[in-house]
Amino acid sequence: MTDPSINLSERRTFLGILLGGVGLVISAAAAWPVWRFLAPSSGEGNLAKVSIQRAEVPLEQAHFFSFHGKPAVVLQAAPGKFAAFSAVCTHLGCVIKWVPEEQEFLCPCHAGRFSVEGKVLGGPPPEPLEELPVALDGDQVLVG
Amino acid sequence: MLERLYHFLEVRLGIRDILEQNLTKYLLPNNVNIWYTLGAVLITLFVTQFITGILLLVYYVPNPAEAFQSVERIMNEVPYGWLIRYLHAVGSNVIVIALLLHMLSVLFMGSYKKPRELTWVSGFILLNLSFALCLTGYLLPWSQLSFWATTVATDAAGAVPVIGDALVRFLRGGAMVGDATLGRFFALHVMVLPAMLAGLVGFHLFCVRRIGISRPPFGEDYRPAEVKGYFHHEEHPGGIPFFPNYAIKDMAVIFFFLAGLVYLVFFAPGLFIPPSAFEPADPFTTPEHIKPEWYFLWAYQTLKIFPSEFLGLAVQGLVMTGLALLPFIDRGSERRPGRRPLFIACYILGILLFVGISVWGHYS
Repeated sequence: MTDPSINLSERRTFLGILLGGVGLVISAAAAWPVWRFLAPSSGEGNLAKVSIQRAEVPLEQAHFFSFHGKPAVVLQAAPGKFAAFSAVCTHLGCVIKWVPEEQEFLCPCHAGRFSVEGKVLGGPPPEPLEELPVALDGDQVLVG
Repeated sequence: MLERLYHFLEVRLGIRDILEQNLTKYLLPNNVNIWYTLGAVLITLFVTQFITGILLLVYYVPNPAEAFQSVERIMNEVPYGWLIRYLHAVGSNVIVIALLLHMLSVLFMGSYKKPRELTWVSGFILLNLSFALCLTGYLLPWSQLSFWATTVATDAAGAVPVIGDALVRFLRGGAMVGDATLGRFFALHVMVLPAMLAGLVGFHLFCVRRIGISRPPFGEDYRPAEVKGYFHHEEHPGGIPFFPNYAIKDMAVIFFFLAGLVYLVFFAPGLFIPPSAFEPADPFTTPEHIKPEWYFLWAYQTLKIFPSEFLGLAVQGLVMTGLALLPFIDRGSERRPGRRPLFIACYILGILLFVGISVWGHYS
């Protein structure tokens, strides 16, 4: 059965290359499931609207909520006039807060100020707040 | 580029010397056999458990209210979660198989004898640490199986005289298996036991390397090595180099075990995961025929054979202590199986008894 023309060293080299190759294939095959296991979810259902009870957003008040995993705010600046924004400050990513006395948003990190339309009033933010579409459906405010 | 890196490390760490001493010039006995690969297999399997365990920790929630759902989520929602979890759960069973084979081969070849007592004792503690890891890991999915298997297992400690009840309460963190049990089992499973295991594996390997690999007691020219009264590293002049010769064999057997593990994960995970593992724990409903894992069946059945639980527990303790201290009891220098008929008879009887009692426990 044994071919004398192939010496032990050659067999060992062949087996080594074979096992190394199998090892590489296994490593590559294992990397994909691990990557997929750890990767954040693909954001399935991100197009879904978020519904908020109208009563939760009184006049001249803001309601903070989670919009597809990110903080957002819905505001009733005038009777029946709702607006929604991403609550993430466009400066360095802190979450803004509502200042009812001033009727404006304030970023507590670096004192960025935004109007009820999301426009920059002062401070370092380079851009206005990201606006989110709002619709009314009976006693529900639909965002998204 | 690689050559420059090698040169950089060589100048600073003298790696050529380290590599030669531990790889190419590390000589193993000429008649070294395939059973000597089980240590490398076990290290690979433990590393696999470590990696899959960390991955599971990303999604697992150690809280009775959420543990089962978090495991369900891993199995059904997280991409490849089922693969990671089955590799971990089935892998623990494959580790126990490899550990038992490793122990049986060491017993058969008498490698535990002087001067390798510390290697044996540390190995035996590693076996028990692995069992403790299996037991604590079993509870974490908070299924009917985990809840009741842990209830039965911790209840056995109640047979210890005087302190039995207190011991059960301490193990469970309360009168019954509950939140406190999950908390302490989780801490043990993910931190305490793995840290102890890693440290002890290091010591075990240090012992193996320091005293030298034992020559297999086979072949006409084998003579028992003379044990001196001072430290002596067993050399094997003219032996085969660890690298590449034996490392290739190590790799082949490692892949064989990995192939077996993957086969079980894909085609027969149910062999180790019964249906009651898929129901959430219900502390008020005991499922019928609750049984421990296959490697604990011998202990489970022993407790039932003897008229009192204490007697059963005492016999178990005696067997385990006897095994742990074997090198101090069996002190002859002869290692050839053919010249140790009494030991080999006990060895075969022991295996038959383990298998027999386990099968009895399974069907009882």
